[in-house]
Amino acid sequence: MPNQLTPQHFFRRRRIQLTVILLILIGIYWLSMALVNFQTMTALTQVPAGLIWLFKNFIPTERSLSYLSAISFQLWRTLLIAIASTICAGLFSLFFAILGAKPTAPAPYWHLVIRLGASLVRIIPVVAWSMILLFSFKQSDFTGFLALFFMTLGYLTRAFTETIEDLDPDKLSALRAVGATYTQCVFCGVLPEVATTLTSWLLYMIENNLRDATLVGILTGTGIGFLFNYYFKSFRYDAAGLIVLLIAILVITLELTSTKIRKAIA
Amino acid sequence: MLKVIGLDKSYNRQKQSLKSVSFTAKPGEVTAIIGPSGAGKTTILRSVNQLIRDDAGQILLDDTDIRQAKPAELRQIRHHIGMIFQNYNLIGPLTALENVLHGRLGAKSTLAGILGLYSTAEKNEALELLKAVGLGDFALQRCDQLSGGQQQRVGIARALMQHPKMILCDEPIASLDPKSTKLVMDILRELAQSKQLIILINLHQLEIAQTYADHIVGINQGTIVYEGPQRALTPEKLQAIYRQAPTKEVSAHA
Amino acid sequence: MKSEIPSQARVPTKLSLTTRPRRVLRLVLAGLTVVTIYTLVTLNTSGLKVNDAISSLGSNLTLMFLHPSVGQDTWPLLLRALATSVSLGLLTTILGAVFAFFIAMGAARNLAPNWLATGIKAVMAFIRAIPTILWVLIYSVVMGLGASAAVVGLTFHSIAYLVKAYSESIEATPTETIEALKASGVRFLPIVFQAILPSIIPALLSWTFIRFEINFANAVAVGAAAGANDIGYYLFMASGFYFNFHEVGLIVYLLLGVAIILEVISMKLRGHYLKQN
Repeated sequence: MPNQLTPQHFFRRRRIQLTVILLILIGIYWLSMALVNFQTMTALTQVPAGLIWLFKNFIPTERSLSYLSAISFQLWRTLLIAIASTICAGLFSLFFAILGAKPTAPAPYWHLVIRLGASLVRIIPVVAWSMILLFSFKQSDFTGFLALFFMTLGYLTRAFTETIEDLDPDKLSALRAVGATYTQCVFCGVLPEVATTLTSWLLYMIENNLRDATLVGILTGTGIGFLFNYYFKSFRYDAAGLIVLLIAILVITLELTSTKIRKAIA
Repeated sequence: MLKVIGLDKSYNRQKQSLKSVSFTAKPGEVTAIIGPSGAGKTTILRSVNQLIRDDAGQILLDDTDIRQAKPAELRQIRHHIGMIFQNYNLIGPLTALENVLHGRLGAKSTLAGILGLYSTAEKNEALELLKAVGLGDFALQRCDQLSGGQQQRVGIARALMQHPKMILCDEPIASLDPKSTKLVMDILRELAQSKQLIILINLHQLEIAQTYADHIVGINQGTIVYEGPQRALTPEKLQAIYRQAPTKEVSAHA
Repeated sequence: MKSEIPSQARVPTKLSLTTRPRRVLRLVLAGLTVVTIYTLVTLNTSGLKVNDAISSLGSNLTLMFLHPSVGQDTWPLLLRALATSVSLGLLTTILGAVFAFFIAMGAARNLAPNWLATGIKAVMAFIRAIPTILWVLIYSVVMGLGASAAVVGLTFHSIAYLVKAYSESIEATPTETIEALKASGVRFLPIVFQAILPSIIPALLSWTFIRFEINFANAVAVGAAAGANDIGYYLFMASGFYFNFHEVGLIVYLLLGVAIILEVISMKLRGHYLKQN
């Protein structure tokens, strides 16, 4: 296929394209800076000072060890709630995903309804979920659980739906051809095929929920987030630093464990 | 003139992969390294431009020992050694022309290299080289849309763009069909003569080596068992080159 | 001689339908279920009237979705706040992407020495493990409440995330293409920009876009805490202070609008890039 462009033209066009893209990006950046009222240079020069401050004040001292039992207890509860909310949401999501995924939907309109519902649930920000639930369910662990549950529900329904839709359609039609009923198709054909991927998603969401639990906790006054906020606001930075450190260790441990599990079930 | 003298290399303590390898490759000639797989052909070729660091010996290109070169000098030397590969190793999303121009990157300053600034003369030269290997119409095509034979010819053009004294070819035709093989080998032989290049080529296929090479280096288990003109390669010598490993070793790998 | 041992495969003692991965999978799921049941049983629900709570939640959701309104704020105010949130997302993504690209070169195993790559990856994993909100809070103490703390805090997390994504993309480029240019005496940085970058641009773009969506969501989430005057702040005030669920509904609809626009842009970008090349 002969090309009419001469090399000179080609390079000039590419250079113009790159320049335009670069200018647009700089423009976006500049405009955003103005809108947010953010000074890049001033802020960047403060970063090292911030880190130094962090290391000076956030290093746990001997005194902060006295908080250890309270912190560990809340961390443990938060981990449990992160897992429980993921698994409960996972069960509901699986049900919705089977109804909503194109290959397994009982009727075409289910697909639309579920997709729309999941998007709506997903788009409601953590802040809104936490506050709405706090209003109705008051300040309790259960509120934190529900907030995480709803966010996970929206996310996993979409992820599960897409996983099922990625399935090889030939496998399903093969099962249909042997005369399997709808339920048989779902339980013997679809679920075993997607189990590994779905579990992978579950593990990912547990990690994610553990991180989000902090924010939910700060907003709803429960769990580890509440404790952090409490120490932080009362200037007990060493205790707050201990929490940060323990959260980081817990998240990394969780990440490493799920990587191991993913490898083992692959 | 390339002179390799007494090259040793071992990857681990048990097995020595090159044992005192010495040979010569002259400008204007195609020199083929042949031997069974695992004999050390690739190790030799990659030692020549020091992609693999060997243990001992001398590699003299026009009386400069490549092994003694400091990093900056080595970069200079490498810039004048073209290399083509079995898998072409082009940048797929870029055009053929850009891939050929990559041959000039070694001669540029870091900044010019980062920005990919090429002079008009360089662009024209790259286009001429593509025309010379029969790809003038494909200059602005993405490389991953070209066939294997076409990609290998882009690879040759990229090597020529370096204004090389020598071109190293690592199994250049192992992934090609017979027609592309002939095309690529014809180009390489013609280049050796017209530009007085040293062409050092690793070959798996004996017939190709016998058809195209002027000089043959035969290797078996890391040792040179034959070096001489292609005409002088007798069936007995061939047998020595392709001799099976002793039975003791076979059982150890079973 | 040692190599013979693995080749003598374990002889299956009985025919089993479950493979090892299946067993691990079941074990993991069973374990998680047990933890879930334990958690639900021990969950503190004292003083909770479930029926009342659910009916109140239902009526609030109805207020939100069926009767949205601007509440005590005004349209211009809310739109301006929405634009601030989008800008926060853009700023932190662009800043994060630039820093992350250079750090990722040091974190890619096929470019950097092993100790450096491992070191950078460990630091990034640590930064990632700390929730975004904590970074923002920490920086709001140092820099004072406001946009700067929000930008720096969000960027921190962005960088850590993108370094992982970028360095894995870099590691996916075949070593041979890098070797080909190394063999012709090309310096390190030109190899990165001329060989690696063109091969991984689609991957980089899609990771960066994913991160933008996350950054936008995070900007909304931390808005209240950082006092950056963005939509998250108004959302927090409306839902947690004035209990005006009409306004919460409107803000959710606004966010939905942004999400739809982002989805369309991302689809267009991907389509455009695939067609172009």
